Amino acid sequence: MNTVKRYLRLYRVLVAQFLKTIMQSRVDFLIGLLGFFFTQVMGIAFLYLVFQQIPDLQGWTLDQLIFIYGFAQIPRGIDHLFTDNIWLVAYRLVINGDFDRYMLRPMNIFFQVIAEKLQPDALGELLIGTILVVRSLTKGIVIVDGLHVALFFVSIFAGALIYTSIKLFFASLAFWLKVSGPFLQIAYDMANFAKYPTEIYSKGVRFLITWVIPFAFVAYLPASFFMKADTSAGVVVIECGIAFVFWWIAYALFHRGTQVYESAGN
Amino acid sequence: MRKGLRIYLPFAANELKRQLAYKGAFYLFILVHLFGSFISYYLWIAIYGSSEKEVIGGLTQSEMVVYVFMVYVTASIVTASISTIVSDDVVKGTVAMNLIKPIDYRLSLIAMASGNMVYRFLVPSVLIWIGLEIYKIKVLGLAPVSIAGIFLYLVSCVMSFLIYVLFDFCFGMLAFFTTYIFGMRMAKEALLGFLTGQLIPISFFPAAMQRVFDFLPFSSIVYTPVMIYLGKYTGETLVFMMLRQAAWVVFLYVAGSLIWRQVTKRLVVLGG
Repeated sequence: MNTVKRYLRLYRVLVAQFLKTIMQSRVDFLIGLLGFFFTQVMGIAFLYLVFQQIPDLQGWTLDQLIFIYGFAQIPRGIDHLFTDNIWLVAYRLVINGDFDRYMLRPMNIFFQVIAEKLQPDALGELLIGTILVVRSLTKGIVIVDGLHVALFFVSIFAGALIYTSIKLFFASLAFWLKVSGPFLQIAYDMANFAKYPTEIYSKGVRFLITWVIPFAFVAYLPASFFMKADTSAGVVVIECGIAFVFWWIAYALFHRGTQVYESAGN
Repeated sequence: MRKGLRIYLPFAANELKRQLAYKGAFYLFILVHLFGSFISYYLWIAIYGSSEKEVIGGLTQSEMVVYVFMVYVTASIVTASISTIVSDDVVKGTVAMNLIKPIDYRLSLIAMASGNMVYRFLVPSVLIWIGLEIYKIKVLGLAPVSIAGIFLYLVSCVMSFLIYVLFDFCFGMLAFFTTYIFGMRMAKEALLGFLTGQLIPISFFPAAMQRVFDFLPFSSIVYTPVMIYLGKYTGETLVFMMLRQAAWVVFLYVAGSLIWRQVTKRLVVLGG
């Protein structure tokens, strides 16, 4: 229990630090946020323009697609906010030998890596995700009862964990490949497929993003559960299962990687 | 002998790994960009499947597939970003150095960007283009593009490239007047991708917006060359579109020169 308290205290210090840096250049932060915001808005504009021409997309209405799109942003944003430093592992820390300083301290290495950086850009994703989800609530297309609301939060955090696990897995490959950034980029960008109903893809692609790099379970599949009354909550249960399994694999690989790093005389 | 191998083999192995990593990274990044095109591809198939009309936004489904990938090919040729270099130079203050040298700063940037563009065209855009053309003829059953068509497309691309770099030059110099260039660049890239027709053909925009677009350079950057390639512009329209591109090249060149004069005046005054 003491270790948990210690880590929480350390994290609180880092968050305070992070807020201070934002406040130092508020305008800069806001403009960066705006830039990021625009990137997300373009996707919605695309959907909007398309739906001027068609009544529905394989049974899905514009409002429903907007919900899926917005819902997809929230777990992504949570992961992006807290674990952005994992990218550095994939691109630089291992190959430059900068990893040493983490190994020297008597603290959990993974915690050290992610605690070093909080990424303000993520607030853009979270903001637009929240706006779109709230919009969907007002449009009445989302089921709002105790079970669904509770599972909504469960799904969001499970989804964030899946993102983190996939990132950590591919980043850990850097312990063997020296630089695994491009692979991580590919895996991460596959999440974009899951912003849309997976039925539109070919069987191979669908399998890939549902079971191999399971972003479908982060966005599309839970989102459809929250919208359609006749789907089972099993989707969220599977999502949690996947989150735990992938986290376990990713962390094991990361741990093994740090051991390999150490034994290489670094 | 074995000892020698054990000592020296790791050097070779490491260098091989390093080269593979660089090349691998390069191709992986290209794959990543193609992802977007594939998502678009599947989306459009689903969209046309959900519509009773065969022609949406002036394009049939087959034409739309060609559009999606030609946008990729065109954008990879045309969008050579120089604003990062310009704003970096401004921030670092090395712009002053460029005033001393007897070379036109902007021209050197354009030359650099063209070299970059030729490389990206050969590797691998031209291959993707050829692959797409084969797919277009064999699978989609559309007519192959004529030699004249290829020529016109390439000419249009060159003009689009010039429009883009000249525009980007002006944008890069904004770094002189503001410190918030990073966020603005993200906004610019998001907007540009959308306004140039890369996400969705301009024909999908509401009619009123399209009229406004007639007075903006964006549609001339990616949309126009791709439409020319698809053979959607013929006769008078074709001539008009290409003349419009040329007009934008001239306009942005002059605009860039004016801003540059303002910028250098400021520099000199500040004793930079």
